Amino acid sequence: MAKRNYILTALFLISGMGFGQFIGKDGVSKALFYLQKNELDSSKKYIDEAILDTSTSELPKTWYYRVLIYKDLYKANEKDNFDSPLRQNAADALNKLSQLDLTNEFTESSQKMMVYLASTFYNDAARSLNPNSYNKAIERYNKYKQLMTLAKSGGDLIQQDVKFYLALASMLNQNLEQTNKKDSTKLNEVKNVYESVLKIDPNNGSANYSLGIIYYNESADIINNLDYDMDLEQLNKYQDICTELFLKALPYMNKCYELKYNLKETLLGLNNIYHGLNDTEKEELYKNELKALELQNK
Amino acid sequence: MKKILSILICFFILNSSFRINTTIDTNAKIKSVFIYNFTKYIEWPQAYKEGNFIIGFIGESSLYSELLKMAETKKVGNQTLDVIRFQNSTTISKCHVIYVCKDKSDELSTVLKKVKSNSTLVITEENGLADKGSGINFIIKENKQKFELNKGNVEKYKLKVSSNLESLAFTVK
Repeated sequence: MAKRNYILTALFLISGMGFGQFIGKDGVSKALFYLQKNELDSSKKYIDEAILDTSTSELPKTWYYRVLIYKDLYKANEKDNFDSPLRQNAADALNKLSQLDLTNEFTESSQKMMVYLASTFYNDAARSLNPNSYNKAIERYNKYKQLMTLAKSGGDLIQQDVKFYLALASMLNQNLEQTNKKDSTKLNEVKNVYESVLKIDPNNGSANYSLGIIYYNESADIINNLDYDMDLEQLNKYQDICTELFLKALPYMNKCYELKYNLKETLLGLNNIYHGLNDTEKEELYKNELKALELQNK
Repeated sequence: MKKILSILICFFILNSSFRINTTIDTNAKIKSVFIYNFTKYIEWPQAYKEGNFIIGFIGESSLYSELLKMAETKKVGNQTLDVIRFQNSTTISKCHVIYVCKDKSDELSTVLKKVKSNSTLVITEENGLADKGSGINFIIKENKQKFELNKGNVEKYKLKVSSNLESLAFTVK
């Protein structure tokens, strides 16, 4: 903060603005004056005017100061507001700045602010990962990504995507397990999120394993809830549905086996899937491999 | 950023808690639904309509536990369901149904001798056993449980087979 005030003072002096010379100057200078004095509300008033004034609205420095002012206001007043308009204004101003700053005058400083604001969006996205606000979490995560892309910080956004969507799917699945397993809309939503992870990272063990388990358990739950009274025609229809689900689970679990992901659980999964598919030979194969693994681990 | 990573890690821990549902043997549950249906499509002589309805069982399979579970809630007509496990084919006593698991398939001839004077439905689960004396034999077709019906093998024990059951069988002999 001290370093920043020093820079602002320097800028202020270089621009030749004494306190007395202030009147009649443009909104950017007035905003800068009050920013230097840490009077953020006044500073905001003048920078808001400056972006509407055609003589200053296309200057990179106008948008640079707007970012600074709105960022500081956000930190001072809205840090706990996940939908902070002040932060959003700062992010929008950064976007505008990156379009106008063709000589890269503010690049280094603006990149730091991009990363800072991005991290606040990321934190809020993670804090919103709950069944009631996960759409907001996705929105905030996308804002994080937009800013990180703008900052060209070189971070691995693909891996961040994988982590975020795995966390999201995991949260949704946990919620589904605890509430209503039979809600097919929600179940499909979970599957879709895991599928989106696999589109980015087809060898992701966690997403493959989770999808394998989801399809297997979906089938097992249907069978578990069959009424003994059910007539045989209906039973045959359910067998068709369940066989299809076991077959859907299979490629995901096979992928886990190939990746040696969570091997003990994967072998148990394959054993059970083949049992459900009435393929005794393969069921035995994985059962024996599981036994061997357990012996080895003893 | 570190704080967030820890939050995400928490989710991964939750994720790793996903477990396959091992509380149910899917095949056993499906077979038990079949077996309960068989009791509705087959008629036993009058003398067998009193007392408990007994399902005898030989061999090692989780189907036994599933049948016990079924017996807790279901009846056959007015008869209480009773599931009895016999140590081997020689110890089999009078029962309405005898289920011979795959590991005891080679004891089928002994089973048949034991039940020949009774009205017992013999159910097996190995290819070819419908031709060797079994009344109903479970088979696998396209990864699904189906059954073969050998009507002659059922009727020789004075049991009546509903035509509906014939239409539901994969093959009728």
